[in-house]
Amino acid sequence: MKKNIAIVEDERAIRDNYAAAFAREGYAVRGYPNRRDAMTAFAARLPDLAVIDISLEDEPEGGFELCRELRGLSAELPIIFLTARDSELDAVSGLRLGADDFLTKDLSLAHLIARVNALFRRVDALRRPTEEKQVIRRGALTLDSERMSVTWNGQVVLLSLTEFWIVYALTKHPGHVKNRQQLMDAANVVLDDNTITSHIKRIRRKFQVVDEKFDAVHTVYGMGYRWVE
Amino acid sequence: MSRFTELLKTGPISGFRLRTKLLLLALTTLALPWAGCQYAREMESVLRESEQQSLLAVTTTIAGSLKGRQEMLFRADSLPGSEGNNSRDITPVVLSGAPLIDGIADEWDTDARNVVRVVGPGNDSLQLLAATHERWLYLALLVRDNRWVFDASELTPLDSESIGDRVWLAFDDKRGGQQRLFFSSAGPGAVRGRRIETLEYGRESAVEEPRIGGVWHRSRDGWVMEISVPLSMVGQHLGVLIDDRDRRGAARASYGTLEISDLRATGRLIAASPDLNDHLRQFSQPGVELTVASDTGAVLTRLDAPALPGDYTRMRGFLPRMYRLFLDGGAIPRSVSQAERERSAQELTQRAARGRAETALFAGRYENSVIVAAAAPIFSADGRRVIGVIQLAQTADRWLTLRDRALTRLLNLTLFVTLFAVGAAFWFAGRMTLRISRLGAASETALGREGNVSRLLPEVDSRDELGDLSRSFSSLLGRLDEYTGYLRTLAGKLAHEIRTPLTIIRSSLENLESESQSSKEMPENARVYIARAREGSERLGAILSAMGAATRVEEAIAHSERQRFDLGALVRATVAAYGAAFPNRRFACEVPADAAHMSGAPDLIVQMLDKLVDNAVDFSADGATISVALRVDDNQAEISVANPGPPLPPEAATRLFESLWQSRAENDTPQGRLRPHFGLGLYIVRLIAEFHGGTARAANLPDNSGAIFSVRLTRW
Repeated sequence: MKKNIAIVEDERAIRDNYAAAFAREGYAVRGYPNRRDAMTAFAARLPDLAVIDISLEDEPEGGFELCRELRGLSAELPIIFLTARDSELDAVSGLRLGADDFLTKDLSLAHLIARVNALFRRVDALRRPTEEKQVIRRGALTLDSERMSVTWNGQVVLLSLTEFWIVYALTKHPGHVKNRQQLMDAANVVLDDNTITSHIKRIRRKFQVVDEKFDAVHTVYGMGYRWVE
Repeated sequence: MSRFTELLKTGPISGFRLRTKLLLLALTTLALPWAGCQYAREMESVLRESEQQSLLAVTTTIAGSLKGRQEMLFRADSLPGSEGNNSRDITPVVLSGAPLIDGIADEWDTDARNVVRVVGPGNDSLQLLAATHERWLYLALLVRDNRWVFDASELTPLDSESIGDRVWLAFDDKRGGQQRLFFSSAGPGAVRGRRIETLEYGRESAVEEPRIGGVWHRSRDGWVMEISVPLSMVGQHLGVLIDDRDRRGAARASYGTLEISDLRATGRLIAASPDLNDHLRQFSQPGVELTVASDTGAVLTRLDAPALPGDYTRMRGFLPRMYRLFLDGGAIPRSVSQAERERSAQELTQRAARGRAETALFAGRYENSVIVAAAAPIFSADGRRVIGVIQLAQTADRWLTLRDRALTRLLNLTLFVTLFAVGAAFWFAGRMTLRISRLGAASETALGREGNVSRLLPEVDSRDELGDLSRSFSSLLGRLDEYTGYLRTLAGKLAHEIRTPLTIIRSSLENLESESQSSKEMPENARVYIARAREGSERLGAILSAMGAATRVEEAIAHSERQRFDLGALVRATVAAYGAAFPNRRFACEVPADAAHMSGAPDLIVQMLDKLVDNAVDFSADGATISVALRVDDNQAEISVANPGPPLPPEAATRLFESLWQSRAENDTPQGRLRPHFGLGLYIVRLIAEFHGGTARAANLPDNSGAIFSVRLTRW
C-alpha cells in the first residue's frame, strides 16, 4: 500500500515539483494550497506524513496553526516544516509545536526524500519490537537508530530528525571530534556554521531539560564537537 | 534688513564666530551715549539760545528804562568830548563797599586798567586811582617821591616861605565854575582840602572845604594820599597836580593831570550818576553783571553780579572730564585773559552802539566756562541818537553745569547699560554657541557609520528656534532611521523573496534530472545544460544564504549567553586546528602562558577568529605564515591576526568592517570566483567584538608587507 504524503504549500509550482518527486519515489501525494483545504481533507482521512509551509496564502503563520491542529488529530504523524523562512525563532517555534523536522527550501529534493524515508522507517520501527542491535548505549544515553529515539537516564529526550542525526553521528564514535561538515553530512543538510551551532545548543538544552548536569557534548574550538561519556 | 543679513553673512565680520558677532552687535549700544550727547548738545544750544534771548530781553528793558536819561548816565546832558589828551581821563571803579580812607593803599588795585599814571621830575611818579561808592568819589594818589616836605605850620598855608609840598585837586562844579583845592600837611594823618579865596583888599586866604578830606601816609617808596569827594560837587572834569619842592619855600616842580599854568582840569571824570547805580540795582539778579557804557564805549558804571544761590561748581573727576572733552570738542573757547575778555565786551558794546541789541558768548574766567552777554543801545529821548550802551553778562556755568550733570548721569547710565548689554550678549552668545555646538555634535554623531541612527538629540524640549531645529533634525533622523532600517532588512527580505522562485527552479531541475536518468530520452548536451543550470541555481542559493547571513549572525549574537572561559586556551586550540584546515599556510601563535580568563561567548570568539583567519588566508600566498597573537591586561584582551600580502587601500581602514563592503577586487582572491564574497566576514568580526564591549581595527604592517587586524575585547 502506498504511503500518503500531504504537501501543504501555497506556491503551486513548488507543490507540484515536490509532488512529482515524491510520486517518483512511490508515494501517493496530495497537495493543498491552504490550511482550510488541508484540514478539510485531513478530517476525512489523515495522511501518513505531512510537509507544511509556514506561510499559507493569506495566513503568514498558517503552517504553525495547521501543525498544532494536525498534532491534535494524531500524536505519531510525522510532520516536516519546509519553508523559505530560516530564522532561529521560526525553527524553535516549529519544533516546539511537535514537528519532527524543520527544513529550509535550500534543501535538495534528494535530501528531502531521504528524510521522508527516514521518518517512515521510524514509524515502521515503532510498530515493531525493539531490536537490540540497533540500540547504542553510551553511559546514561540509549539511542535507537531505527526508532530514532533517545533516552537519557531512561527519560525520553525529544529530538528533531536533524538533531537526532547529529547526536547519532557524535555518539557512534564517542571521543572523536566531528567537524561541522561531518555533522551536516550526517544530518543530510546543508547548513551554515551558525545553524550547526544553534542545533548543538538546542540539543544540549533538550538534554538539560531531563538532566541539569548534562555536559556530554563538548566544543573543540576550531575543530568541531565531540561526545564525552 | 536683507542687506544687513547679507552683510552679516558675507561682510567683514562674516568670518567671526557667533559669539564675536553678537558682541560686536552689542557694542552698537555705544551709539546710545552718542545719541545722548547729540541730544544734550541740541538741548544745550536751545538752552543757550533761550538764555541769550531772555538776557537780551532784560537788557532791552533796562535800556528802555534809561531812554533819554543822560543826566543819570553822565551827571550832565552828555559826556563832554575829550580835549585831546584823554590819558588824563579818570574812570572810577564802582565799589560795592566804601573804601577805608586811611592813607594805606593796600585795598587799591594798582594793576587795574583805570589807573592814571603821570611821570614827574627825577624818579618821581604818580599813580592816580579812582573809585565811586554810593555818592562818593574816592581818589588815591600813590606817589613815588624821595621826600615829602611838610609845611612849617598848619596856620600859614599861604606863606611862601614856609610852604612845603602841595597836592592840588581841581574840578568843574555844576554851575560851570572851577573849583581848586589844595592839600597840605604839617605831619602825617588827616588832611583837608582848602580853597584859596581872595578876601577884601586882595588878601588871600585858605578856606577849609569840610566836604573834601583825606589822609596822608608815608609809603615804602614815597607817600599815599587818599581823598574822598562828594560826587554831587563834581562836574565833568577833574584832575590832580602835585607841587614838589625840595625844601620849604623852594621852587616847585609840578606834575599831574591839571594844566600847570592855570590849574584847570582837562581830564574827564567819566562816572555815572549815583542815581544810575540805584536805578540799575533794581534790575540786578544773581549771576548777572551790568555794565553801562557811553556811546563811545567808556565804561560809566559796572554793577557786579551778586553770587548765585546753590552750588554750580562743575563736576570733577576723570569721567566727567572725558565726557566734556568728547562733547564740547573745542566748541566752547578755553579760558582767556582778562584783557581779551574785556576786548570782547568792548566789541559787543561797540556793535550795540550802532543801534541794535546784540548778544555774544565769551570765554569765561575759568577753564571751559562761558559767559553769555547781551548789549542794548540806550537811546536819547527823541530816540534818534544812541547815548549809551547797557551790557548784561551772565556766566553760563549754571546751565553748563546742569548739562554736564545730566550728561554725566546719562553717560554713566548708558555705560552701565552697555556693559550690561555686552555682558548679556556675551552670556547669551556663549549659551547659544554651546547649545548649537552641542546640537551640532549630537547631529554629527547621530548617524553612525553603519547607518544606525541615534535619535537622542539635545534641545528637543526647548521652545525656541533651536528646539524647532532639533525637532526637525529628530524627525529627519527618524525618517533616516526608517530608511536605513529598510535598507538593512532589504537584503534579508530580498533573499527571502527570491528563495521561493529559486526553489521552483531548483526542484524543477532536480525533477528534470531524475526524469532524464530514468527515461534516457534526453540528448547528451541537454544534460550539460541542466548541470549548468544547477550550478547557477546553487550559486544563486549561496548568494542568498550569504545575504541573510548578517541577520542570522546578529540573531545568534543576540541569543548568545556569556560564560567564563580561558581565552588563551581557546586561541591556542583554535589556531592549532587551523593548521589542519589550511595546509598551505603556516600559523604562528603567540599566547601568554598564563590562563587568560574572560567572560563572553566562546563560540562567537571562535567564529570571529575563523573570519579573521579566513581573511588572512584569502590575502596571503601559499606558504605564507599567518601570525595570531593574544595580549591581555587587567581589563582588556587584544587578539591580532597578521598576514603578509598586499597592503590595505587607504580608505579601507575605516570601512573594512562595514556590512557588504568589499574593497579588494574579487580577482585578488583565488576563491573569489567560487565563493560569493559580501565582505560579511569582517562585519561579523566587528559585531562579535562589539558584543564583547570591544572594537576592531585594521592597519598595514609597519613595513607595508601585509595587513594586521586586531580586535580589542573587554574581559569582564
